[in-house]
Amino acid sequence: MPDPGREGTTAAGRQDAATTRVEDPPLLSGHGRFVADLRVPDCADAAFVRSPVAHGLLRSVDLTAARRVDGVLGAWSAADLDDVPLVPPMMRPEPGHGRAWPALATDRVRYAGEAVAVVVADDRYLAEDGRDAARVSIDALPAVLDPADSAGDEVRLHPGASNVAMETTVGEPVDPRVWDRAAVVVRARYRHPPLCHTSMEARAILVRPEPAGALTVWCSHQAPHRLRNDIAEVFGLPPGDVRVVVPDVGGAFGGKSETWPEYLAVVLAARRLGRPVRWVEDRHEALTAGPRGRAQTQDVRLAADATGRFLAMELRTDAAVGGYPHTGWFLPEVTARMAAGAYATPHVHVRARALLTTTPPLCPYRGAGRPEAAYAVECTVDLLARWLGMDPAELRRRNFVPPDRFPYDTPTGFRYDSGDYAAALDLALETAGHGHWRAEQARRREHGGPPLGIGICAYVERSGAGGEFGAVEAHADGTFTATSGCCSTGQGHATSFARVVARELGVDRHRVRVVEGDTALVPRGVGSFASRSMQNGGEALLQSARSLAGEARERAAALAGVPAGDVTLDGGTLRAGGRTFTFADLARREPLRAEAQVEPPQAFPFGAYVAVVEVDPELGSVRVLRLVAVDDYGTVIDPLIVRGQTYGSIAQGLGQALCEESVHDEDGVPRSVSLLDYLLPTVAEMPEVAQAETCSPDPNTALGAKGAGEAGCIGVPPAVVNAVADALQIDPPALAMPLTPETCWEAAR
Amino acid sequence: MKPAAFAYTAASTLEDALRELAAAPEESHVLAGGQSLVLEMNHRAVRPTRLVDINTVPHLGLLQTDDAPDDGARLRVGPLVRHRAFEQPVDEGPLGRLLALAAHCLAHPPIRARGTMLGSLAYAHPTAEWPTLAVTLGAELDLRSVLGHRTLAAEEFLAGPFTTALAPGEMLTEARFPVLPSATGVAFLEHRPTAAGFAVLSVAVALRVADGTVVDARIGLAGAAPRPVRAPAAEGLLTGRPPTDEAITEAAAASAETVADPPADPPAGIPFRQHAVRVLTQRALHRARDDLTERT
Repeated sequence: MPDPGREGTTAAGRQDAATTRVEDPPLLSGHGRFVADLRVPDCADAAFVRSPVAHGLLRSVDLTAARRVDGVLGAWSAADLDDVPLVPPMMRPEPGHGRAWPALATDRVRYAGEAVAVVVADDRYLAEDGRDAARVSIDALPAVLDPADSAGDEVRLHPGASNVAMETTVGEPVDPRVWDRAAVVVRARYRHPPLCHTSMEARAILVRPEPAGALTVWCSHQAPHRLRNDIAEVFGLPPGDVRVVVPDVGGAFGGKSETWPEYLAVVLAARRLGRPVRWVEDRHEALTAGPRGRAQTQDVRLAADATGRFLAMELRTDAAVGGYPHTGWFLPEVTARMAAGAYATPHVHVRARALLTTTPPLCPYRGAGRPEAAYAVECTVDLLARWLGMDPAELRRRNFVPPDRFPYDTPTGFRYDSGDYAAALDLALETAGHGHWRAEQARRREHGGPPLGIGICAYVERSGAGGEFGAVEAHADGTFTATSGCCSTGQGHATSFARVVARELGVDRHRVRVVEGDTALVPRGVGSFASRSMQNGGEALLQSARSLAGEARERAAALAGVPAGDVTLDGGTLRAGGRTFTFADLARREPLRAEAQVEPPQAFPFGAYVAVVEVDPELGSVRVLRLVAVDDYGTVIDPLIVRGQTYGSIAQGLGQALCEESVHDEDGVPRSVSLLDYLLPTVAEMPEVAQAETCSPDPNTALGAKGAGEAGCIGVPPAVVNAVADALQIDPPALAMPLTPETCWEAAR
Repeated sequence: MKPAAFAYTAASTLEDALRELAAAPEESHVLAGGQSLVLEMNHRAVRPTRLVDINTVPHLGLLQTDDAPDDGARLRVGPLVRHRAFEQPVDEGPLGRLLALAAHCLAHPPIRARGTMLGSLAYAHPTAEWPTLAVTLGAELDLRSVLGHRTLAAEEFLAGPFTTALAPGEMLTEARFPVLPSATGVAFLEHRPTAAGFAVLSVAVALRVADGTVVDARIGLAGAAPRPVRAPAAEGLLTGRPPTDEAITEAAAASAETVADPPADPPAGIPFRQHAVRVLTQRALHRARDDLTERT
């Protein structure tokens, strides 16, 4: 149970003053060690020959000249292999049935950038020379880019299997009479452009064959145990023969949870050559062939009575999951289940489909299905507010799930644990100076001045899924080891996990060393995605630390000859019958270690975002004047880290709203293949951001932490788009992300 | 993103560099700041087999104003003058101000510290800042090879996107900008989606006024056509008249006529380009007039 003193919602969910992260000195001084920095003797480098077309029949791959290039050690296409490794689908096998994803294309290519051959050479320069010497012959087939075209199966990507890789409905169908009798029904259509993850470090793997067929794999990854299991299964190895080690990681955002075809090809090459092989994805590859996020097309219907009370909502969403559904098929289902938003709408019905398109594979991207849901709900709520002539904030308050209805079962099958949605919204409006901006807006509308708009997003999201492993060991030298099945990709676990353990044991956090990201050192684990690390991994460590403390009490009691209940623990010292013991004292006598496997239910963090924007009335350029983020992550362990992650996700959310889009031409060939074309927000585009929190601890865990770190990607896009629509006095669905100046200019004409 | 193999030579003199280029004219490239060349080599979009590094050649950083014998002063810019050199006005008058305005739009500080003005002219990105100013101001460019040298107007030199009059074996050795008379108002405006990347459109304006009347109007536009162009119709509507709001509005409207066959990247539709050219030109002309008012 949560600490009783922290129950309820307060504006001060922060437990400690901000500190620095222990990770930062090496990272900021150039001493980080990423896959590309590893010094492994005799390591060769791989480059991929990739399809220049989005869809086609692969006629031949001629690697003769590539193999003759000086320094090239080997080159393989599927034609050279008896048994082409297949990418395993995530979570469930069905989406992969009839839609095999070979590590190297066999008879057909299904996206521009798909790997058709791997070339390994003494270094990357030579590997690219070999790549350029390869000759590939492909008979082009029609590209399939629009999900609506895909669903008709006129051009099938996988002969014998439908392009509809997944179709599901959630919620009960809405009785037609509800729509007929409603005072107002609004409809909207939204498109979420495909986005790229653009982590500073792109994907990277280094595979070293070990004696007797074993492998050591260094990979920039979020889920090392899954990668280990996949590699073991694909190559028929016992899992214990594959060691996956995750060194420093320069961001992941969902794009590094998967077992990508390139990884399997590198394993294959390393095994064939009997020497270490590395592949470091460069920016061009990442923007061409790397995974995509979002890419949903949505139709929404929302009915309300004359007072603005929501009666029913319907969402139809199609995700363009790319040529292979293996890593993204489940994302539209996440959107479907989140479609109730923060509201007690009695009827919510969703149809969600995963549709194949001749584009790079879809996979989770920070937010992973929740930003798409929040956008569909929140922009439609603003649309309804315009129709009703109501204040958007007031309309939301009228429909929020009220605090006394938790746990709340949504019509979409989720159970929201706790919260006070109106409190978050009120705090956000107050922090933003909402009244001031409304007055300024009115002044400008009357007396002139650039259009100014205020936009709101009240979001609920989902965090944490599945079990997690944790262990804590006390050492004789007074230090502790905290072992977690999670895997930091920049989140700062070495700081925050140490804090969880140190606080429970009453010891200095610098004496707690966090171990994770190595399957040889961590017996099992799930990883870091879905904002699960603190919620699940932190809980496992807290429970481990509690068990350790309990065991220490027992031992101290036995040594002192007193009942365990008489032992006190304070400041890391156990007092028992006049004797005192430290954990180190006890560890010197015999190993002192405890572990835990926890599986808390998923949690539902929430919050409210407010954006104030000004639009250049002539050129359509959007200037964000103020951005307010109020988030409720439950108990916050390390406020500096949580705010930092929120800030980063705000920047990414702003990128989605204003400038990011992976553009493909009509033939499906990517056009935005460098950061001069795929535009990220820069420091110059970042507005002043104000962050605040409310705190509704997770009632289902002792730690009380809910997931943090993805909220900005969820809250910012609807807030900014609603604000621009408000400025231009148009319906939010009239604006399609990204809100380039040209888009706003056309919408306002 | 690793370049194909190439030979590297560090030239010791300009003549040495030209000889090196002449040894394999079709396959050689001059390396100055390398801010575009190296990127293109990494993408293997260009594959020179020889790079002739001129950073080792003394005296190529020439940046000075010379009085030409016949028609006024010229700012001379050598091949190793970095973008950064123009961040502070290099000339007390309007030319220095205009170059500084453009320099502050140009990429970001690390690129400005390394990249060169002449390199940017030779690269000829259709919306890069220096080609736009060179066309607007009628800069002269010197091209040299072992066979001799020639001088071209910037308008002749810039043939299209990433295309110039440079022949194999030739090197851009100097740009000369006419120094603007003090009674000239200047402005430089860009339209860009973010601070990164290239501008979609840019407008450079130099408006010389005498006795309240515009005597020389220069309006240069990038992103309207395959290469930076002047807007003669708009310039004609201003010349010989006082720079009134009305004249500015008419000229701005006429500037939209220059939009024809614009570059594909950064992307923007024709109607938006026409509209934005008009808006930017109008704003730039107002700024140039304000600039003049503030200085006189």
